[in-house]
Amino acid sequence: MTTAEVAAVPRQQAGDRYALWLRTVDHKDVGILYLLTGVAFFVIGGLEALVLRLQLAAPRQGVVDPHLYDQLFTMHGTTMVFLVMVPLLIGFANYLVPLMIGASDVAFPRLNALSFWLTLFGGLLLYFSFVAGGAPDAGWFSYAPLAERAGSATSGVDYYILGLGVAGAGTIIGAINLLVTIALLRCPGMTFGRLPLFVWMVLVTSVLILGAYPAFSAALVMLFLDRHLGAHFFDGAGGDPLLWQHVFWFFGHPEVYIMALPAFGIISEVVPVFSGKRIFGYRFMAGSAVAIAFLSFSVWAHHMFAVGLSTAENIFFAVSSMLIAVPTGVKIFNWLATMWGGRIRFTVAMLFAVGFIAMFLIGGLTGVTLAVVPIDWQVTDSYYVVAHLHYVLFGGTMFALFAGAYYWWPKMTGRFLSERLGRAHFWGTFIGFNLTFLPMHWLGVQGMPRRVYTYPAGVGWEGSNLAATIGALVLGLATLVFLFNAARSLRGAPSAPADPWDAWTLEWATTSPPPTHNFEAAPAVRSARPLWDRKHPDLPDR
Amino acid sequence: MRPSAEAIADLALVVGAIALGIFLLVTGVLLATMWRYRLRPGAPEPRQIAGDLRLEIGWTVAPLLALAAVFVLMLGTMREIGASLPIAADTDRIPLRVTVVAHQFWWEYRFDGGAVAANELHIPVGVPVELDLVAADVIHDFWVPALAGKSDIVPGKTNHLRLFARQPGTYEGACAEFCGVQHAWMRLVVFAEPEPEFDRWLAVQGAARQAPAGEAARGEQVFLRNVCVSCHALRGTGAAGNGAAPDLTHVGGRTTIGTGVLRNDAAAMRAWLADPQRYKPGSAMPLVRLDPGDLDALVAYMESLH
Repeated sequence: MTTAEVAAVPRQQAGDRYALWLRTVDHKDVGILYLLTGVAFFVIGGLEALVLRLQLAAPRQGVVDPHLYDQLFTMHGTTMVFLVMVPLLIGFANYLVPLMIGASDVAFPRLNALSFWLTLFGGLLLYFSFVAGGAPDAGWFSYAPLAERAGSATSGVDYYILGLGVAGAGTIIGAINLLVTIALLRCPGMTFGRLPLFVWMVLVTSVLILGAYPAFSAALVMLFLDRHLGAHFFDGAGGDPLLWQHVFWFFGHPEVYIMALPAFGIISEVVPVFSGKRIFGYRFMAGSAVAIAFLSFSVWAHHMFAVGLSTAENIFFAVSSMLIAVPTGVKIFNWLATMWGGRIRFTVAMLFAVGFIAMFLIGGLTGVTLAVVPIDWQVTDSYYVVAHLHYVLFGGTMFALFAGAYYWWPKMTGRFLSERLGRAHFWGTFIGFNLTFLPMHWLGVQGMPRRVYTYPAGVGWEGSNLAATIGALVLGLATLVFLFNAARSLRGAPSAPADPWDAWTLEWATTSPPPTHNFEAAPAVRSARPLWDRKHPDLPDR
Repeated sequence: MRPSAEAIADLALVVGAIALGIFLLVTGVLLATMWRYRLRPGAPEPRQIAGDLRLEIGWTVAPLLALAAVFVLMLGTMREIGASLPIAADTDRIPLRVTVVAHQFWWEYRFDGGAVAANELHIPVGVPVELDLVAADVIHDFWVPALAGKSDIVPGKTNHLRLFARQPGTYEGACAEFCGVQHAWMRLVVFAEPEPEFDRWLAVQGAARQAPAGEAARGEQVFLRNVCVSCHALRGTGAAGNGAAPDLTHVGGRTTIGTGVLRNDAAAMRAWLADPQRYKPGSAMPLVRLDPGDLDALVAYMESLH
């Protein structure tokens, strides 16, 4: 062997490693690709948010010009919804569902890889808009007629249509794959009554995706026809701008639960394990998710109370929106009852889970106030809504995702994250989050509209805006701590055993990380907590 | 009668108190649970409880009752506000009706009898004012929080909103639906004033401009010579505009320039006319190069138009 050949070997191997990631169809690898994509876009979307906050730190600033500001807030929202939360949740689902149901992979591994690549390339297509003449600038919900060519002349909205259409196709395919996997690949004994609640939530979420995403895809095609072929679906001349809103929110509100239900699933795994108790009210936890899914398709027009619907329509959507608080409340009460009487270990995962419960509670309660039509007439489209939605999606979903990250990190990497750095990450996130978003409730009540690139001085908005900007910087620092923690852990040697948390579901029955086919011996289960049964033969679950 | 904002504020206080009560209760239980059941050395294995049907029923029914109460309160407030706007078609019951046309990025107010105003609306105290809201281009939203809730203004559709001011005063508001690049500077102001004062204001808005004198008269010539007239109407000069820019007949009487971006005085007017895109980039107002003498005359003219 010549020297050149010897030197070429490691490079070749490194190249192979990357090639493996490109052609992998293993659900765990695809899950990790989803998670990495979500984290990368989380950093990008977070930086966009930081620019927005710097611009709003004081009145009449010129950190960015208004054109760029509009692109940044549009991309921030679009990125966080479609390229961060959905990919992160699907990433966890991809990695965990086959393991949790005792399967060796998803039903259609190749299709699974296709879903991921469509999502990634949809995201890249969306971001290509920045160099193709300007990013979309009509908001993440792209209201017509502003999103028509007359209102938004750059190609930004076209990239929004194409990028989200492609990513959405990936999401739809992924949902079918997960549904079939859960329906057909459960191991012996894994009845629907024994599915881990995370799997239940993924199941319900997949049904929601199949109901909601196609409507959005259709709306995107219609908008494309309007913009390029002279159709008039959504303009004010012949078409109806409210049609876009109806179709968009018919997708958009289930989308909120598509982002929330898997988060509920993560919390329903983390809280019992670290409380040392089985989940309280398993059937009610699964059933309430089904109730939420049904209701979520009949609440969309609560986003439209100010557009001038009839009183009857307003009252209908107010009632359905209030009703959705009931199954959501059932979940919160059952988590509390799970903790009650337990033996609570405050790991970082558990801290984030408890933080989730408190923050999501705030988001849920402000959500009920927004369902009250006259209150909505005052605070909709104001910073109150910005506060509300971030309590649901950041205080809710992102906190749950962080809980899941700390909980399953040892399983995925074979290594531990530092709990000390993790606690710094948690407290930085908790404090930064509340400092950013709590004052926004007040800003909305005081009359500050959303999506303004600046605001006048002397109307009483300075203090809250400055606090929010400082909070956003704290959030940014906390996220750096997380990324540092992750990088440090990956450089260390593997040390995680199969079941580091004394947990109960099947993913902990195999090595960390699991082998390609997940389980050396095909598992069989007799309850929702197979590992509990194994550890407590005297006291098995029934 | 009272401003609908007051009715909404009352409702919001009650609903907010209920929500706050629930928040305190639940977080109280959460914190107590965290403290009481934290891991302590020697703590026994917790009892494994699968659930409790009575508890499940309890925490399903209790929130339902709270929501039912909120719902009934909501219906009461909606009835008071007059949820079935507009108030039928019997215009007799509406003492004052104003058509609000929302443009990117300014407001136009049209009164019966031909009075036209821009950006700043005056209303009489103690008189309900019905707004017919129409959009000229994209979706906007009329929002003056201290007077009433908001209403979107949707192309192809006329929405309605009722304003009622109990106290004289200046009520600030803004466009609340993202409408494009200068959404931030689509502020609005409502001046509520005693009826005689309002009548005088309305009479002024209905009249043609007062003939200018001195430098202002020269300014009028500058105005008429330049592209200003292709967009702006100025009644009494023959400039009819194209409807896409604010009527300037009484621009000097307004408190702000550029729909809130600058306070209206001679210095600000000069700066604005010298380079509007510096203050409101993306608005339709173009930079028109004038020599300094013409600019001074134009400023004097604009400020004279009360």
